[in-house]
Amino acid sequence: MLLEASGIVKAFGAFRAVDGADLTVTEGEIVGLIGPNGAGKSTFFNCLAGDAKPTSGTIRLRGHDVTTASPESHARLGMARTFQVPVTFEDMTVRENVMVGAFLRHRTRAAAIAKAEETLLFTGLAPLANAPARSLGTPGRKRLEIARALATEPRLLLLDEALAGLTPAEVRLAIELVRRIKGLGITIVIVEHIMEVILSLAERAVVFHQGKVIAEGPPRQVVDDPAVIAAYLGHHMKRVRM
Amino acid sequence: MILLQVVVSGLLMGSVYALFSSGLTLIWGMMNVVNFAHGDFVMLAMYAAFFAYTLLHLGPIVFIPGAAALMFLLGVIVYLGLVRHIAKGPMLAQILGTFGLALVLRYSAFWAFTANFVSLPDTLVGGTFDLGGIRIEASRLLAGVLALVITLAMHLVLTRTALGSRLLAVSEDRNAAMLMGIRPDRMQAIAWGIGAASTGIAGALIALFFYISPTVGESLSLIAFVVVCLGGFGSVPGALIAGIGIGVIEALSAYLIGAVYQDVVVYALFLGVLWVRPQGLLGTN
Amino acid sequence: MRDRSLVIIGFFFIAAWPLLVHDVFYQRVGALVLLAAISASAWNLLGGYAGQVSVGHAVYFGAGAYASLIVYTELDWPPIAGAPIGVLVSMAISALIGTPTFRLRGHYFSMATIAAAELFRILVANWTLTGAAVGLMGPPVPRTIADLSFISPIPYHYLFLSVLIILLAMTWLIQRSRMGYYLAAIRGGDRAASSLGVPVLRYKLYALLLSAAFTSIAGSLYAVMVGFIDPDSALGILISVKLLIVAALGGAGTLFGPLVGAVILIPLEETTNALFGGGGTGITFIVYGAIILLVARFQPGGVAALWASLTRRSAARAP
Repeated sequence: MLLEASGIVKAFGAFRAVDGADLTVTEGEIVGLIGPNGAGKSTFFNCLAGDAKPTSGTIRLRGHDVTTASPESHARLGMARTFQVPVTFEDMTVRENVMVGAFLRHRTRAAAIAKAEETLLFTGLAPLANAPARSLGTPGRKRLEIARALATEPRLLLLDEALAGLTPAEVRLAIELVRRIKGLGITIVIVEHIMEVILSLAERAVVFHQGKVIAEGPPRQVVDDPAVIAAYLGHHMKRVRM
Repeated sequence: MILLQVVVSGLLMGSVYALFSSGLTLIWGMMNVVNFAHGDFVMLAMYAAFFAYTLLHLGPIVFIPGAAALMFLLGVIVYLGLVRHIAKGPMLAQILGTFGLALVLRYSAFWAFTANFVSLPDTLVGGTFDLGGIRIEASRLLAGVLALVITLAMHLVLTRTALGSRLLAVSEDRNAAMLMGIRPDRMQAIAWGIGAASTGIAGALIALFFYISPTVGESLSLIAFVVVCLGGFGSVPGALIAGIGIGVIEALSAYLIGAVYQDVVVYALFLGVLWVRPQGLLGTN
Repeated sequence: MRDRSLVIIGFFFIAAWPLLVHDVFYQRVGALVLLAAISASAWNLLGGYAGQVSVGHAVYFGAGAYASLIVYTELDWPPIAGAPIGVLVSMAISALIGTPTFRLRGHYFSMATIAAAELFRILVANWTLTGAAVGLMGPPVPRTIADLSFISPIPYHYLFLSVLIILLAMTWLIQRSRMGYYLAAIRGGDRAASSLGVPVLRYKLYALLLSAAFTSIAGSLYAVMVGFIDPDSALGILISVKLLIVAALGGAGTLFGPLVGAVILIPLEETTNALFGGGGTGITFIVYGAIILLVARFQPGGVAALWASLTRRSAARAP
């Protein structure tokens, strides 16, 4: 059991964004968290990442209790994440951005550079290594965030709507990258509200609605679940494209 | 009895603090730029009130709409010309932008009016009330009451009018507000206008009973910061309570330890609050 | 390559300066330029590299200056012996300000720095130990070489130059190391940095403590050279403003930015003071305020960024 979250509640005053959600993630799988907007999946995600403190419930990462741990501790324990709206370090080059991640496991500059180069090659960003991060468009920044997170050598990677706002061609490239990351043995949890992505990538889908998990299972099965369809009927359901 | 008098005096001054601090909390609540020149805006309004009287024979109370309008304009200009740009920049630009503005305003006034302070004649709103042994200057009473009323009015405008809800929408979620057809840029300019207008009114009120000098801006800015931090950023009711509280604490400190140290107490309190409860007394976290 | 040769030429010019000019006034300006460069470079560690903007750095400068002259007036020690005490006091004050505010948004830290600077200025101005509003004086006649009391500015020039070299060398090493990258990440965004395992609070404090310590040393050096301090000359807002404008104008977050800023601003200030008398009318502040405003509005990277865009190469932020 790589990650175990049980009974997570996150309340803002009287409003419960997450109302008793559980999630277990086993090593090596790709789990998709889906649900309409406002379903609480992003809040849940932030609790998992240590960015938000759950009002109640526990989270265990590789056996350690990380419920109230800082994002830094999460990173050290092997969990990395990307952000819904990319927050790359604008002043630094692409390579330097990735080096920040690399320094977690490599103390010296030379080692960090080497790790960064390796990660840039893996993610296809090598040609842009010297470009300032601010010169990248959105797809480039999303890819850079992934590279930066990978450089911390995580066991678990949390992707927060990493594919939102991309063109179909870019989505296909991103899916291919995620598959290669899984090939490295990294476990992935991906938050998405684009069905297509979940159907192509996730081995297991967990559906959120109004702060609770309402369905769980293989994506194709979950998509046909009447409760899931009902939840999405209030919102546009993305046309499934193959 | 003297103690009670001191407290009352502090309450009244505190209302004025609450007024211009509400303006700061509105500005700060809307966007990530703190106005380091806020106290200097008040200073400018004080001089404007002074000249309105000496040149145009307009008493400060009559001048209040004029002060509000002038400062509203200044706020909008500062937003359009400076704040809008630094808000997108690095933290250095965000801090130094309004800090540089503060220096320019403060020392331009210093250069134009010299360090000597001026004041309006105390016959303008003359007399002292005696309420059960407590002596209150009429000017202070008037200023404090008006400040309180206007601050409450501000709160009502923000919470009960369409304009207010648009402003709140932008401060809460800029993107969502845009999707609803609200223009964040315009709302932020208006917020800066209103925030500055609050300093205009406060300045005119203070001019009634206090000395006017170019350097008051520095301590008034800090008082605004303390009030906003104590009251919870973005909260006008919080600023009201905190402002009055700071006014009382300041008055008591002056009385008990000496006027020289009254600022020290307020600043020490500020640092203390940051340690213990940075979300403010009324803030939630 | 061109930048590097410029640096080397500049260095030799600065090192040879007092020997090139024979007028004491110009030699003194040289020493003051270096002193400003030290203070601004110290500020730069925190404000430029770590992105935490202190607008009350005078408190550390003043701590160093006062510590030096207090050990002289109370204990008869050579003033420079007070420098370590100044450093300790400065680091303590800085921790007091930074620890609670570094977990909040950047504006809180900046506001706290003004409050702290003002607080201490008022206290010092009313305390007999610190000479109250009158201030303190150093040894009128040097007793030993340890008093560092020289008539000529030349020894000061080389003393300050040595300290500056040490500080810049340290900054350069930090810039290239993990700490440098972590500070740049913090500047780029706390939340993102934290998610990558950067211990944000700890590194902000490191930068703060170092910055406070070296600013304090600059203050002690100032007290030693000028021989007189009072609350305005050592703790006033002018000092805070001068530190940051020298760094910001030259280029915050760059290695030589503060030195460039000092070379531009200090001679200007000294010449106008000599020609038009002291800053009684506050024109200095108006000019400084305007410069700060313009830098913030148009070119936050200062002269360094301007230079970089003119030579169309990325500014030397991190190697």
